[in-house]
Amino acid sequence: MKENNIILHLDNVWKIYKMGEVDVPALRGVTVEIKKGDFVAIIGASGSGKSTMMNLIGCLDIPSKGNILLKNQDITKISESDLATLRGRTIGFIFQQYNLIPSMTIYANVLLPMEFLEYDDKTASEKTRKILETVGLGKYMHHLPTQLSGGEQQRVSIARSLVTDPEIILADEPTGNLDSVTGKSIMDMFYNLWKKEGKTVIMVTHDLKLAEYAHTTIELKDGQIKTINKK
Amino acid sequence: MKLIKCLKHAFGMVLHSKVRSWLTILGIVIGVASVVAIMSIGGSMQDTMTEQLGGLGGDILTLTAGFSRGMSMFGMGDGEGPEGGGSTATDEEPVLDRTDVQALRAIPDIEAFDTQISGSVEVSYLGKSGSVRLTGVDQKVWSRVTTSEIGEGRMLDSADQNVIVIGGKLAESYFDKPIGLNQMVTIEENVFRVVGILDDTSTNIYMPIQMAYQMLDDKENGIYDSIVIKVKDEEKLNETIGKIETKLMMIRHVTEKTKDFSISSSKQMQETRSEMMSSMNSFLIAIAAVSLIVGAVGVANSMFTSVLEKTKEIGIMKSIGARNKDILSIFLFNAALIGLVGGFLGVIFGTILSAMLPALMGETSMLRGGTFVSVNSIIIALSVSVIIGIIAGFVPAYQASKLKPVDALRYE
Ligand SMILES: Nc1ncnc2c1ncn2[C@@H]1O[C@H](COP(=O)(O)OP(=O)(O)O)[C@@H](O)[C@H]1O
Ligand SMILES: [Mg+2]
Repeated sequence: MKENNIILHLDNVWKIYKMGEVDVPALRGVTVEIKKGDFVAIIGASGSGKSTMMNLIGCLDIPSKGNILLKNQDITKISESDLATLRGRTIGFIFQQYNLIPSMTIYANVLLPMEFLEYDDKTASEKTRKILETVGLGKYMHHLPTQLSGGEQQRVSIARSLVTDPEIILADEPTGNLDSVTGKSIMDMFYNLWKKEGKTVIMVTHDLKLAEYAHTTIELKDGQIKTINKK
Repeated sequence: MKLIKCLKHAFGMVLHSKVRSWLTILGIVIGVASVVAIMSIGGSMQDTMTEQLGGLGGDILTLTAGFSRGMSMFGMGDGEGPEGGGSTATDEEPVLDRTDVQALRAIPDIEAFDTQISGSVEVSYLGKSGSVRLTGVDQKVWSRVTTSEIGEGRMLDSADQNVIVIGGKLAESYFDKPIGLNQMVTIEENVFRVVGILDDTSTNIYMPIQMAYQMLDDKENGIYDSIVIKVKDEEKLNETIGKIETKLMMIRHVTEKTKDFSISSSKQMQETRSEMMSSMNSFLIAIAAVSLIVGAVGVANSMFTSVLEKTKEIGIMKSIGARNKDILSIFLFNAALIGLVGGFLGVIFGTILSAMLPALMGETSMLRGGTFVSVNSIIIALSVSVIIGIIAGFVPAYQASKLKPVDALRYE
């Protein structure tokens, strides 16, 4: 087992979207290795393929060509239901638009991933309460997402992503909808997750200032990797 | 995700559903309600009928002479005497006479038989008169063979002469004044004493056959209009019919083709009628089922819309670990619940409807017993509506489950 500390490996990954007759190549032969415990920022201009790369890393999509190894498993070769479970256990997603389910309470939203992974009710309930206390939202447990501010909703979505204790946190423009003060508090949370809890954090941003939190910076341009910088 | 959790989320979806879902449910409600109402009404009509016909006796056969061209639906034969069919084959009208009686005596499967004649007679009572039907019966066996029950007084007896037994309606309301037991009634200028009143609603008069020959001018002694036969073993009814037919055909020198008599059994009649009834019933249920199908289309339609509306949520669920089958289960449960709720409300409305219908339809004798929604029909209605929900919801649920997470997430 060589390179055991590589948690994610993209090998000549292509993603070509079909727009009717036209092929839109969003990623063109991306090869990169991400080490366990790294804090990676993916930067690049709008349309450079950051989100596409993020979706592939998060197993939300499959590449048109090339291989993706997540914890040494080729995600193009495992079944849909195994992939869903792997995704649920290994990856916590944070989206720009928070993506909470509007009809469910904060509590139910955070509980949901554990229901899919079939945690027992008691553990799930305890974990939900604990994580909501940790992000400072214990008192909003029975509120609906729309009753909370943007920053609070993003904290709920972080709580939801952390509650199953995943190894990788994937965040696509997590502060994109937030003011700079709230954004900074969210960035501090990521930094702590990486520094104190040893999570692998992969974050997409077009904000170079935010990218400075990261240890490794991957710059994309027109669907290809332009530079990789390590601190 | 465990199925119970899928059910919980499906339930949440129904609770949070919009007016549209409730309209969908209304479609199922109407369908189920009409099926339940029709089933219960049909069922009670059938009950009433069985009750009415049950009194006819399954072990009774009626033998009449005449060329039968297929048994008439309600066919006891009109008793007005043998029909003069088949005039080309023979000049003589086929009749039943002593030879036939001899032949019947020789058949051991017959317990008893009653030779009868009947016709219309003038009856008068306390100055009023009218024309009613008179049946002359073999008074020695009549009480054993008939399915009529005595209400007051007694049946005819072997020693009887100038006495009659009359139908309930004739006694009660045919004339201005009711006819009581032991009253004298004039039939064709002869006076008879009423010894029995039947527990029925007929205006018939029964008297010993020998007297009846005198009352009915056109009847010839020794010639019978019909012979009512009670068989020994109801189980062997068809076999007995076969034996009687063979024997009579031999005596009367006829073949299957030229057969000049017919045997009808009340049991057959009963079966024919209830077959008619149940096909009528199925027809009505089929119509109601169409409205259920329309309801199902509504469920499918609403499910498609719902899947579309929830595309983003499906994407979110998939991003946090939902498998295709979890999504499928949630949406299928949702559809099944819509069906169940619709079915449940439908049963309630159907029950109310079927309770109200007899009143709306007037005092129809068919619904005398009142309507009754059976536990069976409730169970059937509920399971059918759940199944309809699942079938209607399957394609949209399947589509939802197959959505690619990225595509679903991008959906706004
Ligand atoms: N589903 C899609 N269908 C077609 N083209 C797409 C799709 N998603 C992204 N693209 C195209 O692929 C390119 C990369 O998009 P994206 O990964 O979203 O970039 P970024 O996140 O860096 O802004 C863009 O040109 C975009 O228009
Ligand atoms: Mg993007």
